[in-house]
Order: sequence, then C-alpha cells, then structure tokens
Amino acid sequence: MSAYGSAPASGPREAAEWSNRRIVAVNLRAIVGRAYPRVIGLTREPSWLFFEIFLPFLAVSAFVFVYRALGAPEAFVGFVVLGGAMTAFWLNVVWMMAAQFYWEKDQGNLELYFTAPMHLMSVLAGMAIGGLVMTSSRALAVIGIGSLLYGVSYDVHEPLALAAVFLLTMIPLYGMGMLFASLFLLWGREAFHLAQLLQEPIYFLGGVNFPLRALGPAVGLVMATLPLGVGLDAMRQLAFASSDTNGVLPVGTEIVILVAMGIVFLVAARLALGYLETLARREGRLTLRWQ
Amino acid sequence: MTEGAAQVPGITLADSWRSFRTAIGLGWAIEANWSDPFLFAIYTMAKPLAAAMILVVMFQVITGGQGTEFLQFLIVGSALWNVVFGVMGGLVQSILEDRERYKMMKYVVVTPSSLFPFLLGRSVARVLTSLVAVVLTLAVGVVFLGVDLQLNLLLLVPATLIGVTAVVALGVFMAGWCLQLRQEAWSYPEAIAGALYLISGAIFPVDILPAFLHPVALASPTTWWLEASRRALVGHGAPGIDGQPGLFEVFSDGQIMLFLVISTAIAIPLALAAFRWFMRRAREAGLLDMTTGS
Repeated sequence: MSAYGSAPASGPREAAEWSNRRIVAVNLRAIVGRAYPRVIGLTREPSWLFFEIFLPFLAVSAFVFVYRALGAPEAFVGFVVLGGAMTAFWLNVVWMMAAQFYWEKDQGNLELYFTAPMHLMSVLAGMAIGGLVMTSSRALAVIGIGSLLYGVSYDVHEPLALAAVFLLTMIPLYGMGMLFASLFLLWGREAFHLAQLLQEPIYFLGGVNFPLRALGPAVGLVMATLPLGVGLDAMRQLAFASSDTNGVLPVGTEIVILVAMGIVFLVAARLALGYLETLARREGRLTLRWQ
Repeated sequence: MTEGAAQVPGITLADSWRSFRTAIGLGWAIEANWSDPFLFAIYTMAKPLAAAMILVVMFQVITGGQGTEFLQFLIVGSALWNVVFGVMGGLVQSILEDRERYKMMKYVVVTPSSLFPFLLGRSVARVLTSLVAVVLTLAVGVVFLGVDLQLNLLLLVPATLIGVTAVVALGVFMAGWCLQLRQEAWSYPEAIAGALYLISGAIFPVDILPAFLHPVALASPTTWWLEASRRALVGHGAPGIDGQPGLFEVFSDGQIMLFLVISTAIAIPLALAAFRWFMRRAREAGLLDMTTGS
C-alpha cells in the first residue's frame, strides 16, 4: 500500500480500473494540492500582500477623491470601497485563473496536468479555492483600511443575505475564470492583452465605481453576462440599505440570476475543458511553449 | 592599458541610433505584430476609453452633467495619464521581458552598444500605443462629451516635450530599479504610476489631497505637466473645490512652465545617475540574467 492508499496492481488492466472512491480521493488531493501554494503563499511572500492591498487601495483612493471633489454623498465613498474590494477578486480571476493555464504552459506544467490521473476541473477548482482564500484577505484589508481611512458607514440589515450574495457571486465569478482559462489557452499568446482587456472595460460595465443603474440601457447586458456587476449591485443594496441609490433589480431576483450564472459558467467551463483536452491529445499543440 | 585596447573605438552616436532603431522594430513586433491585429486594436482602444468612461459616468451620476469645467479636467487628465502608464510600464516591461521571458538581456549587454538606447527603443511601441490612446480619448471627449478644445500650441508643444521627457526619466529610473528586484518587479511600475496618479492631480484637483501631500505633489514634474497641458488643451487648469480658488490658479502659464522645467531638470540627471548605478550593481551582483520566476 502506497502513501496515497493504492496497492500495487497485478497487471495494467487492474491498474487502469479505478474504484469511484479512488477517483474521488485523487481529485480531492488534486484540489488541495493546487490550492495549497496559493494559500501558503500568503505567508511565504509578504510582498504579494503589499501589492495586492496597495494597488487596489490606490485606485480606491483616487476614486474616493474624485467623489469628494464632486461633492458626492458619502454613500458613494462606500460604493467605491466595496467595488475596490471586489476588484481584487476580479483581478485574481483574470490573472490567476483565466491566464493561469497559459502561464502553466509556458512553464511546462500544463503537460503534467494533462498526463496526471485527475480531472482538469480539479486543478481549476483548486486554483479557485486557493485564489478565493488568498484574495479574501486582500479584499478584507481593502475594506478595513478604506472604511477606516475614509469613514465609510455601513447599514446592514441582513448580514446573512449579504454573506450569501457574496458566496453566490464567487461561484459564477470563478466559474467564468475556469471558462476563460480554456479560452485563453486556445487564443495563445494574446493572453496578456486579453487579461488587460478584461480590466477597465469590465470595471466600467460592472459598475465597480458607480451605481450600476447609471449605465442605462447597457445594464441589461451586464445583468445577463457579468456576475461581478450583478453581485456588486446586490451587495450594495444589502450593505448600504438606507442609501437613496436603488439597485437595478430587487436582491432576490439578482440572487436567482447569480445562481443561474453559476450553473451556466461551470457547465461551460466543463465543456471547454473537454474540448481543450481533446485538442491536446489529438494535436499536441497545447503543450508547445511561446504559442 | 594595452595598445590593442586603446584602439577599440567607442560607441558612436550612429551605433546608438542603430540600436535604438532596431529595438523599435523588435518592440513593435512583440507588442503588435505577434498579436491578432483586431484584438490589438480593440485592446488599444477599449482600455483607455473604458477608464475615461468610468470617470464620465461618476461625474454624470453626481452632477447630472452640470459643470463642464470638471468634466474637461477629468477627460484631459485621464487621456494624458495613458502616457505615464505607457512609458513607465513600457520601459519596465521591456527590461523584465528581455531578462525573464526571452532571456536576451545578457546578450544585449555584452554587445558593443549600450543597453540604454536599446531599452528606449524597445519601449517605443508601448509609448506610441499610449499616444494613440491619448488622441482617441480626447477625440471621444470632443465629439461625444462636449469637451471644448482651445488649443494653445505655444504652450502645448513645449509642455508635451518636457513632460514626456520627465516621464521617460521616471521610467528609466523604474527600469533600473526593477532590475534589482527579486519578486513582484512587474507590479512596481503600476504601483509607482498609481501613486503618481494619486498625487499628481490626474483625475481630481490636488487641493482635495491631505495638506501633507501637497509638497509631494508639487515636487513631481507630472503635476506641472498635467496642469500645463490642461491649460494648453482646454484653456483652464484644475478647478477649485467648493468655490475656493484652486492651488494653481495663482500661477501664470509661464510660471507653470518654469516649475515643469525645474522639476524635469532635477528629475533627469537623478534618473540617469540612478540607472547607471543600478546597472553597475546589476553587473556586480549577476542580476542581468537572473530569473525570478515571478
């Protein structure tokens, strides 16, 4: 019996026939293994902590000062701080989920993923869980520092609903990251440009720095495609219940949209990965570096 | 010194020009030609426009479209800041990509040419892209948002030349600094440009900053460059807050230019001296072919 709970097989056929228990155990180990470096990285490389808090905080500060210069109600400062915290998750999804398979290919890890006896969804799930834990600390720091420094006051009547909306936002957000991971890999060396392209335009469409309703007719597009925008709108309604700014839709409706988005993105990510794996095995080009 | 060594010719201006020109071609190939042209065009246009539109929507939400002076202030600042991100990001990314990704830095350094013209040339593609973003953002501002351009070329041309030179000096300093770093070097230009964004009054008047940051803002050439450029483009600088006169309203155009020249004249030799020191240290410490894996 090995350290991983598997006994030596008497032949190749027996070695290839895995029980369901063993398949689940291996995939769970893959999830933990891929999440581990991201979680442990919190303590191993403090400079990451500095930059991932400092950069969103700079942006938050700039937008807070713009609102102050415009004489905006203080609730808008809170909107910006909350938006800045959510930006940390979006950056994590773009750079450490969507672009990750591309970097892995460049570093020579991708072929190891393809040949290892696990599902690629487990690798992506590990990346997502690790990234979520890692980024939560950054987001909390941005909210804490921003709220203290700029005197944001929250008015939360339903804390459980707020927590639920946050979690429901994370599922389609990281599901989208899983889907993009496959697409970025297919699109090749444009990964850097694509990741850049998914920043300011998404901050704009997602209403990161202003109430989503201000987008006018374009808000329908956001409601149908962008979990960041839907989640933020719902969270703002719950975190600043007494502010005069209304959300686009009632929170309940936005929760239903987030659940639907979660299912769609996870299924789409699963399909895209299947296609990717087929390409990798048939053509082999997904393991070529610099492509 | 041996006789042979004494006969080795030095680097001429023509050598530097050739390095610079070749590096421009290489930088452009990496930036644009290796990308899908459609995607590259979208990327070049969408990012700066979205950044400006965020500010426009914030302005509309609060003011309901009243007070075009502030809107013009936002559009010009947002447009010009693309140059700072482009130059600083371009110089640093060039040096890091050549060291970490393409692993060409050591080969460039051992050629008879200097790294300096190569580095400048290598970053030109990003700088040009950022200039396109400036023009595009201003054009959208004029056509769709009612920005009233009142060009003063006598002010705009020298302000742009001196201002961009100051930004390049800051970029050169950053490039040398990032060579020394073990991790997260890629994040430094964004962090420094972000900090400058905050203190230079790019999207809000410097007056709104806490008073202890005012001297820092006034020491940065980017602050004076933005103010001079705004006056040259839309006929006015940063607006005051709550009916109070703005920090720069007491200065004439000539005084603003004088402060831009002084701050740039201080920044350039400091940046060049720092770059020279950073390069010497990089050679001594073996950092030119270091791979951090970041």
